[in-house]
Amino acid sequence: MKKYFLFAFLLIGAFACTDLEEELREDLTASQALSDVQVDALLNSAYDGLRLPYQDQAQFWAAQEHTSDEAIGPTRGPDWDDNGVWRVLHNHEWNADHAFLGDTFSALLQVVYGTTDILNFNPTSEQEAEARFLRAFVMSSVVDGWGQVPFREAGTSLLDDAPVLSAQETVDFIVSECDAILANLPDGPANTANKDAARVLLMKILLNKGAYLSRATPSFDAADMNRVISLADDIINSGQYSLADNYFDNFAPNNTDLSTENIWVISNETGVPQGGSGNSVRSRWFCSMHYNQNPSGWNGFTTLGDFYMSFEDSDVRKKADYAGVTEATGVNAGFLFGQQFDADGNPLMDRKGNDLSFTKEVALKESGDNLEITGIRVVKYPPDINGGDNVGNDLVLYRYADVLLMKAEAELRNGNAGTALSIVNDIRSSRGASTLGSIDLDELLAERGRELYWEGHRRTDLIRFGRFLDAWEEKPASGEERLLFPIPTGSLASNPNLTQNPGY
Amino acid sequence: MKKLFTFCFTLALVTLISTVGFSQKTITGVVTDADNNEPLIGANVLIKGLSTGTITDIDGSYSLDLPAGSDMLVVSYAGYTDQEVAVGGQSVVNIALSAGALLDEIVVVGYGTVRKRDVTGSVASLKEEDFNKGIVVNPDQLIQGRVPGVNVTNNSGQPGGEATVKIRGNNSIRAGANPLYVIDGVPLDGRSARAALLQSDLGSIPSSNPLNFINPADIQSIEILKDASSAAIYGSRGANGVVLVTTKKGRSGETTVDFGVSLGTSSLLKKYDVLDGDEYRSALSQYGLSGDGGSNVDAFDEILQSALTTNYALSFGGGTDNSSYRLSMGYSDQEGIVKETGIKKYNVALNSSFDLLDDAAGIDFQMITNHATEQIAPVSSNAGFTGNIVGQALQWNPTVPLMTSDGAFTKADNNPLVGETTINPLELLAAYDETANTTTLLGSISPYYNITDKLQYRYRYGINYSTGRTRGGIRGFVNVQNVEDRGLAGVSNTTLVSQLHSHTLNYTDDIAQGVSMTLLGGYEYQKFDFKGYVAGALGFTVQDFDNTNALQNSDPGSRVMFSFADPVSELQSYFGRANFNINDKYLFTATVRADGSSKFGDNNRYGIFPSAAFAWNLHNDIMSDGPFDEFKVRLGWGQTGNQEFPAGAAQERYELVEQGSQQENAPNPDLKWETSTTMNLGIDFAIFDYALAGTIEYFTRSTEDLLLDPFVSEPGPAVRAWRNIDGKVVNSGVELGLTGFIMDTDNQQLSITANIAMLNNEFKDYSGAPIQTGDLFGQGISGTFIQTHKEGFPLNTYFVREYTGLDESGNSTYTDDGNTFYELGDPNASMILGLSANYSMNDFSVGLNFNGAFGHELYNNTANTVIPIGNLGTRNIDAALLDSPTQESVANPITASSRYIEDGSFIKLANATVGYNIGDVGKFSNINVTLTGQNLFVITDYTGFDPEVNTVNLRNGVPSQGIEYIPYPSAKSFILSVGVSF
Repeated sequence: MKKYFLFAFLLIGAFACTDLEEELREDLTASQALSDVQVDALLNSAYDGLRLPYQDQAQFWAAQEHTSDEAIGPTRGPDWDDNGVWRVLHNHEWNADHAFLGDTFSALLQVVYGTTDILNFNPTSEQEAEARFLRAFVMSSVVDGWGQVPFREAGTSLLDDAPVLSAQETVDFIVSECDAILANLPDGPANTANKDAARVLLMKILLNKGAYLSRATPSFDAADMNRVISLADDIINSGQYSLADNYFDNFAPNNTDLSTENIWVISNETGVPQGGSGNSVRSRWFCSMHYNQNPSGWNGFTTLGDFYMSFEDSDVRKKADYAGVTEATGVNAGFLFGQQFDADGNPLMDRKGNDLSFTKEVALKESGDNLEITGIRVVKYPPDINGGDNVGNDLVLYRYADVLLMKAEAELRNGNAGTALSIVNDIRSSRGASTLGSIDLDELLAERGRELYWEGHRRTDLIRFGRFLDAWEEKPASGEERLLFPIPTGSLASNPNLTQNPGY
Repeated sequence: MKKLFTFCFTLALVTLISTVGFSQKTITGVVTDADNNEPLIGANVLIKGLSTGTITDIDGSYSLDLPAGSDMLVVSYAGYTDQEVAVGGQSVVNIALSAGALLDEIVVVGYGTVRKRDVTGSVASLKEEDFNKGIVVNPDQLIQGRVPGVNVTNNSGQPGGEATVKIRGNNSIRAGANPLYVIDGVPLDGRSARAALLQSDLGSIPSSNPLNFINPADIQSIEILKDASSAAIYGSRGANGVVLVTTKKGRSGETTVDFGVSLGTSSLLKKYDVLDGDEYRSALSQYGLSGDGGSNVDAFDEILQSALTTNYALSFGGGTDNSSYRLSMGYSDQEGIVKETGIKKYNVALNSSFDLLDDAAGIDFQMITNHATEQIAPVSSNAGFTGNIVGQALQWNPTVPLMTSDGAFTKADNNPLVGETTINPLELLAAYDETANTTTLLGSISPYYNITDKLQYRYRYGINYSTGRTRGGIRGFVNVQNVEDRGLAGVSNTTLVSQLHSHTLNYTDDIAQGVSMTLLGGYEYQKFDFKGYVAGALGFTVQDFDNTNALQNSDPGSRVMFSFADPVSELQSYFGRANFNINDKYLFTATVRADGSSKFGDNNRYGIFPSAAFAWNLHNDIMSDGPFDEFKVRLGWGQTGNQEFPAGAAQERYELVEQGSQQENAPNPDLKWETSTTMNLGIDFAIFDYALAGTIEYFTRSTEDLLLDPFVSEPGPAVRAWRNIDGKVVNSGVELGLTGFIMDTDNQQLSITANIAMLNNEFKDYSGAPIQTGDLFGQGISGTFIQTHKEGFPLNTYFVREYTGLDESGNSTYTDDGNTFYELGDPNASMILGLSANYSMNDFSVGLNFNGAFGHELYNNTANTVIPIGNLGTRNIDAALLDSPTQESVANPITASSRYIEDGSFIKLANATVGYNIGDVGKFSNINVTLTGQNLFVITDYTGFDPEVNTVNLRNGVPSQGIEYIPYPSAKSFILSVGVSF
């Protein structure tokens, strides 16, 4: 028995005081991680980081579209209340606590961090150019939405409060970055940061500069407009792009191969899980289509009747069958209006037994027996019915038709209406719409809407054209503070260098 | 270690076998009150070491047969000090008992014990007879409603589900606010090793209770250290209070065998009132809607079962002059009231102690082994629009049969009245399969050596090893989004190991006439290790098959493979305590503990946690002539810490992801524990010859350096930075515990015990961004949260739209059109109450135990999003919606608002027990039969399932409180137990 007693006492000697150093095991320390950094992997992560803010239906896309005259997220009885987040976007009553706007601000700036981080690890000149393009691209969205950009130089500590760039500083920064990296960027493809994408970014910054510096009264410098035109000409004259024969090829499941217009996209591949977070491109049609359609959707967002009525019937952008999709599902591309059918041509019903016949009329709060069927649905991206969670449609960020329309706008703003008209009519003819006899800014804004609807540009356009505060369907005229989003409450509290935008 | 175990076990068996055969002699005597010589009627006279005995009759006399080898009697009587008497050669043994037993009990405190009369802090002590009866899976349930200021709410009604235990209010803004549990001197990790599976659209299943491995039948006492002067000896882990669990030990004497069996049946406590088929039809016609399937179906009933519980407990105990042991075995099988759910537990525990070297040294050895198998149904806490089976059953159109005439599950494919996204709860039950196995070993060995007769050295090694293995999946025939026609399956495994080494020196001395001193000094080292893996996939080629057995069949693109090993965390502590007792009048206690933790930042490696307390026993001093039998005032102050944040939080870490690494954490070299400072003032008293005894306490506790992990400020990676934020949480309150012996006649006794706590909670001196929580779930409510920790308000205050009724078109209206959110409720109960009554007459006894909470509000997320009026025509609705004088529009949005905030006050009959003590039959002794009803009724205005259930969800790590969302429903139960000793 004594033996066991001694044994127990021996245990006591088996350890000594510890220095309490923590062993990380599953994780790497900073020095281990830094010695193992693969710039390629960081760069891939940075590309993947674009999916959350640009691809998800509740992020920057929502900020750009729901606040505009071409999209609405109606509350449908028990569905889509979501604490009113969709309603306040459309009627311009959001505040600094808006969950999705706050999440968008953070998600965009995560990409700014990740791309800056790459610069710490001796990237090749091409990798560096790609990272700096991605950063400039995302910063353009932040300045567009919030008018100021918290920014840390490479190598500065996360624990320090980030300095904040003003709108002017951000515009200057993006312009100088684009100029600096252009030569080192690859020529393509569209899913990689490329020379033409940098040219489009530069065009967009120069075109919107007047609005970014003076939101309520934008002015447009002739030299900036000339540079927009010359950048557009670089792209046009490269001969790489042309207007697509089939408008919806630009958005199709295999748009990687089919599109002749896409300049800058987020890459997706059918059946292959993609990095990053947020909903896949599938959310573009899920957010709109009815439960009882194929593919089944969330019965949510719609366009507005007035916007729909701005299209001619012959315009393919309004409605077109899409081969491989329509015959398999009964769903056309473009707008879904009126009675909907299944693949065999049988009329569909909603869950209450009404005909599934989408109406022009739609309200912020739907309150009738028809609440499931109000609003015209939008299927800009022909559904990839083979992809499951992982659909193949690349998400389109910049496209050739936008380049042409920006050139037309710069010409128009510099007084060359004739050149502008001919560009617009080329596009309209290509889309099956009648040609216009004349053009002015209102008509150009309307054409941008018809060509680029639901692609995430509308709010920027409405502000630049001075129309964002107007009243439209389900929205009263709004106050000047709405030209900027508020700095999210949490971000404001965590960085004393941020100042709340006026009016919030 | 293994050898030693073998040795102990052998010794136990030898002792068992040696106790065969006995002769006996008869002892008689009278039990009287030592003060007045009045006979005491109904006093217990037991044979020490056995649980057999008798009760004194109307003359205070008794007679019992004393087996050979037994020599000691234990005599006890409510309100009097227990007395042990050696029989020797006598055949007549008269015993005079002194009053005052109440304060003479021994109470376990940290690293030692004290007499109850010497306690200076706030310590609640529950003995076995004080525990809740009925179906009890874990120790939390034993104390629910029994201690002033201790509030236990279940996170789910699932058997073995986790509970939220709050001692004296809501202390912390983050998760990790449960108390520290210490089992026989071994502090637990606090986490459960039950392995979690892959997430699906069905949401995540609430955790199981980390204390499930303890067999409640093995517990002798539970002490709860409520204030910092008693808990500061546990330092950085003591801020949420400490629960000390002491298991039963063997006693020297002959081997006794106790055997107990109980059988129980459980059913639904409270039905959620949705429409039945006929009501639904009439509502459809009232609204002019279609959707009548022609039948009458109660889908909720279909997912429930009448649940059986069986429980066996067998223990052997005994010992010699210098050794004792107790070996127990338990098996319990508890079915859940939801089909396909339940928990089975297998338990073996051994406690033994040996005196060595002529009592100069000894060894205590303890071991608990447990295996638990949980069968889990998809009753998640955070399901989105899919809901969980509880939600799906509530929503099911009550006019549509769940099964078709040819035996298939009714669904959209075969019935046009069922929506594409509506899930048949029976089909989901059939498709869902999850089994969690958790095996736990808690062992400790503690040798001690008496260096002198005043100085003792003790070493303790403790290990808590727990491993969880879960397998589960959803078969692809059910229409769960992303799973339909694909199937989901996964396996996972976790291992949680914590180890303890502690060294203590204990010195006791009388330093002057009437002045005694006890000193304790110690060093302790603890280490916590948590690892695991999960593998899972979607896309199986066969849909009605247990795919967990063949994961290789899955779609490679869908596979998830993940393993983890948390940083090992180490805790190294130095602690000391000094007690002084001056003439039993003045008592002083001072403690200090220095805790060093590998989790803390480099600049804050050690925290110091001091405490001091003073008690003045006025009854032994200036009040000895007053009406009181006891009167003691206690005053205590102390600091405790909370370090329940993940290991690695202070460091900059990079996590390895697929083919790369990414930053996971922003470093904070200043990271440290939360500090709670508590002041406690208490009075213990007894009056009217101990007929009324009680405790009144006032406390205030301020918690600072609050832990929070916000995302780093932009632009940053999507990582969190742990920090100690400004602001403090202040809890204060008054607690009252009273026991009265109302009736104490010839053969009847009635006692009533009440405990009441009035609690107040406020978040103060905070200027940062509002800390949000209280996420709501369900269709159409994405991103909605309703609670905010806001300066000047109680934690978790509801900030919501103020509902003002329905307009003439039947739509909800709100103050300021719903654009302003108001502070409209507080989920923190302002009063919690426990009330028990015990009546006995001869061998019959009856006990009732109520508990309740008052002055708080609950949010009915179930009513808000699962069964709103808009379901009418396709799915079922809350029956109360039809009571509205204005007909509510089916298009009324389900906006979150004060409409769903309800008074959460309740009182529940938690236990009702009827017992009959049959006594001895042949060689069997102490035969007793007990019938217990559990959760028999609840009185409340709350319309949900159970006001005592709290569906906890986290928003950025901050837990919600008081929100009920389609929980696993609570049960009421009847249990018949039979116990026998021999």
